Order: sequence, then structure tokens, then C-alpha cells
Amino acid sequence: MRFQHHQAVLDTRPDVAWMEVHTENYMGGGSPIRCLEIIRRDIPISLHGVGLSLGSAEGLDQAHLDRIWQVAERIEPDLMSEHIAWSVSGGTYLADLLPLPMTEEALAVVCRHVDQVQSTIGRRILVENPSTYMQFRHSTMPEWEFMAAVAARTGCGILCDVNNIYLSAKNHGWDPLAYLAALPSDAIGEIHLAGHSARQLADGGTLRIDDHSSRVIGEVWSLYETALQRFGPVPTLIEWDQNVPPLDVLVEEARHADALIGVASDGVRRADAA
Amino acid sequence: MGSGVPTLLEIQTAMRRGLLDDGHARVAALLDDALAPADRLRIYRNTSRTALTNALRLNFPAVQRLVGEDFFAAAAETFITREPPQTAWLDLYGESFPEFLQSFEPAASLTYLPDVARLERAVDHALHAVHAEPLEYPQLLDIEPSVHRRLCFTPHPSVSLVFSPYPVDAIWRAVLTRDDAALAAIDLSTGAVWLLVERRAGEIEVAQLDERPWKFAEALFAGHSLSAALAVADDPNAAAWLAAHFAAGHLSDFALSNTESLVVAGHAQ
Repeated sequence: MRFQHHQAVLDTRPDVAWMEVHTENYMGGGSPIRCLEIIRRDIPISLHGVGLSLGSAEGLDQAHLDRIWQVAERIEPDLMSEHIAWSVSGGTYLADLLPLPMTEEALAVVCRHVDQVQSTIGRRILVENPSTYMQFRHSTMPEWEFMAAVAARTGCGILCDVNNIYLSAKNHGWDPLAYLAALPSDAIGEIHLAGHSARQLADGGTLRIDDHSSRVIGEVWSLYETALQRFGPVPTLIEWDQNVPPLDVLVEEARHADALIGVASDGVRRADAA
Repeated sequence: MGSGVPTLLEIQTAMRRGLLDDGHARVAALLDDALAPADRLRIYRNTSRTALTNALRLNFPAVQRLVGEDFFAAAAETFITREPPQTAWLDLYGESFPEFLQSFEPAASLTYLPDVARLERAVDHALHAVHAEPLEYPQLLDIEPSVHRRLCFTPHPSVSLVFSPYPVDAIWRAVLTRDDAALAAIDLSTGAVWLLVERRAGEIEVAQLDERPWKFAEALFAGHSLSAALAVADDPNAAAWLAAHFAAGHLSDFALSNTESLVVAGHAQ
């Protein structure tokens, strides 16, 4: 949900299971946070942060963490999430989710920061797997091991972005099914889906870019079905925030996801009954 | 960088420099992907630049419409390189953008542009300022009347003052309401404006003050003692202006200065 939707949401109280907003858009004391407080009375809210920079070698920005804590205190979100990435270096916010080397050092930094966040805000958070366009030559573990280790060491959950798994796997030659299989099922608290685009490199290769500007592609839907079979009916969000299409296209995409979750739920119920 | 395995700090420093200065050699040496390191870094750089340019566009919408999309993007590119943000809370990014525009050679002929940007910065502050309870007059009743002149006030975080030798409030309104007729009718020689910008019940208000009440407010909001602010005002109506600030909730705290002369409240004992 974005600011331009506030009035429409307040007026119509749409029949949605929950909503996700960017935490950074509600840090001021003006009308956005007040609108969200009102919406929150009827609709569960997920606070999705993009700027905390869990992977910064130089430590977390305490003022930013305090702002996140203040938003969480006022909104009492059902879910809170951040990214396995970094955005701050040398006191500069670089405004993108930048890739980490997959090393023990980076893992220790991320875990220390997840511990710090969870103890400061008094809530469990989810961490999202990134979309990446480069790999560092001295990485010592695959990304799926890194994700699983963060969850195991800190007790945090995982926001599994299925589109990110798909495109990072394509970009780096990984097996997306092996990635899904390595994630701890009981840690998965949310799933993201999105569209992406492809870009030609100077050497003729292709990189897939996460840009949230189109329909979810068929291969990602298939991977999502596999994820639901493995993780169960997890709350799912389709990210589409560039070149936003007519509402009926969005609804169609959401219905497709709902239908697949329905299949997964039936599977769970059958398993329960057995 | 040493010959061994680079540390996380070294990697992030190299990436930051590559993103800000658009150089990729240091980053290329770190990558496993032998192919097209510059292209890979550029994907991150583009995302970063787009996000920051959008933040400036949101915070300075009237400036953007006045100069057009391409000009704004070029100005933003230079500004972002010189003064990237220090925090991920981008609602207030561009604190020094008005001063940057003042020294930005291609915009030199648009003399009023930096002041439009200053007004937009004040509006941005008003929109996003943290919540604060206004100071109520009864909270001062315990203060000895003999020391009233040493009172210093903290303005409400959403309130700020803007002065311009041009009618920037009229320009700002006409641009944002896309009122081309009003914009065409603006005469830059109509003279200076003294503005007070604030958030009232969630809405932004930009009000014109007369010069003397504005200067009184300027001294008061800067944390100078009441005595000093009254001296700046030099007007028998100043007490009424102070009462109006209380009534409008423009003040959020007070302290007692150890002097009546011009001092900043934060330094008062």
C-alpha cells in the first residue's frame, strides 16, 4: 500500500487479509502514520523495512533502528521484515539492497544485527533473501546456507522471495529447487512474488533484474507451487510497484496466488486428517 | 586492500566508492563473475540513483515542475554525487538542496528557484516532523513574572519560517495546482514575502506574515530570550503576537536563559 491509496482504503475498507507497507514511509509524525493506525484497527499490517542495512560492517544506524521501533510501537504489526543485504557504508545511505559476500564474517555481522533488532523492538523479524547481480570470489557458502544459518542462530524467520530465488539462480547458475529444499520450513513466515526483467550485458550474457514492474512469469509460479508444497499455505504478497497496471490485472495475479494457496491448504488439511 | 581475503569493511568501502564515483576496477577485483563487472555494478548504481532522484522529486515537486524533468534529473545527479543521504529515512533528504541550487550554474537565471526550494524544504519538514504536544500557557504560571524576560522557547518541530524577496508562495501554489494562468500573472517585482509554514490537523499551511511579526518569530524560534525577541520586534503588539503563537500551538517547550541578551536556548543554563 502506498500513500495515494490511504483515502481509498479508509473509505472502502477493502476485504483483504492483510497489507504490507514500507516502514520507512511512516517514520514522520504527520498524517501517514495516523492513517496507518486507523487502517490497522481493521486490517493486519506487515512492516517491510528497506533501509536498516543488516549487513553493514560498521554497525546499525541506531537512530534508524529507533525510528523502526517507534513505528512498530504505534502500529503493532503482525509481521516485520528486513533484507539480507547492506545499504549503509561510511555514514552514507546508498539507497539499494547491496549484495553481501557469503562468508562467516558477514554471517556473524548479520546475526549480531538481527539479535540487536529483535531485542530492541521486542519482536521476531523475518529476513528476506536478496536478488543479486554479482558474487564475491571469496564467498565460502551458498546463499541458502547463509539464510538457514541466520534463522538457526537468531531465531528469526525467513521471508522467502520466490522471484528473487528464481532470478538469482538464473544469474549465477544455481538450482532454485535445491535453494528451496535447503530453507528450514518452520522458519518461513511470508512469501514474496514479483515480475522481473532481463538485461543484456556487454559480453552478450543476460542478467535478470528484480524490478516489480510486470506479471509473475510461469517458471516463478511453478517454483511458488513447489514452495507452498514444502512450506504450507504461507501469507503471500505480490510486489508490483513500478508501471502499476489496471486493478483487474493485479486482482487476477492475486487470485492466481490465492488459488495455489488453496490447493496447498487442502493438502495441509488432508495431512492433518490422516 | 591487503593480499589476503578482503574484509567486509573493505568490500563495502570499495562498493561505496564504485557506486558514488562510478569506478568499477576495485569492485571487479572482488568478484567471482569475470564477465562484465561494470555492467553488474551499474545495475546497482542505477537503482540507487533512481531511488534518490525520486526522493528529491517527491520532496521538491514544485522545483521539478518549474525546471522540467530532464533539468531536474541532471541537477539531482550532481547533488546526489556531492551530498548522498546519511540515513535511510529519505522523507527529509535534500536538506541542503536549496543551497545547492543557488550555486548550480545552469539554474543561475532562475533567481527565485532556490527560494521555492526553501519553501518546499519547510513544507517537507512540516509534513514529516515528529509529533510533539504544543506548549500550553498555563504551564508557565509557576514561572516568576520577574524572570519572564529570560524565557526561551522551542518551536514546534513542524513550524518553520521562510523569507524570500520573491512571491515564492504564489509561485509554489500556482505550480502545484497547475494553474498556468496564475503562474503567468505572477510579477516577480511585487516584493518580498515573510512566510510561516506549519502542519495543522495534518494539513500543511503556508501563511504570510508582516515583516515585524516574522522577525519576532524568527528570534523566538531561534531560541533567543523573550527579552531579545521583544527588542528585535520593537513593537507594542509583540505581546499579542506571542499569545497568538501559544494559541496556534507553535511552541513546544521552554527554558530559562541566564541572560536576556541574544543566546540560543540550547545553551541556556
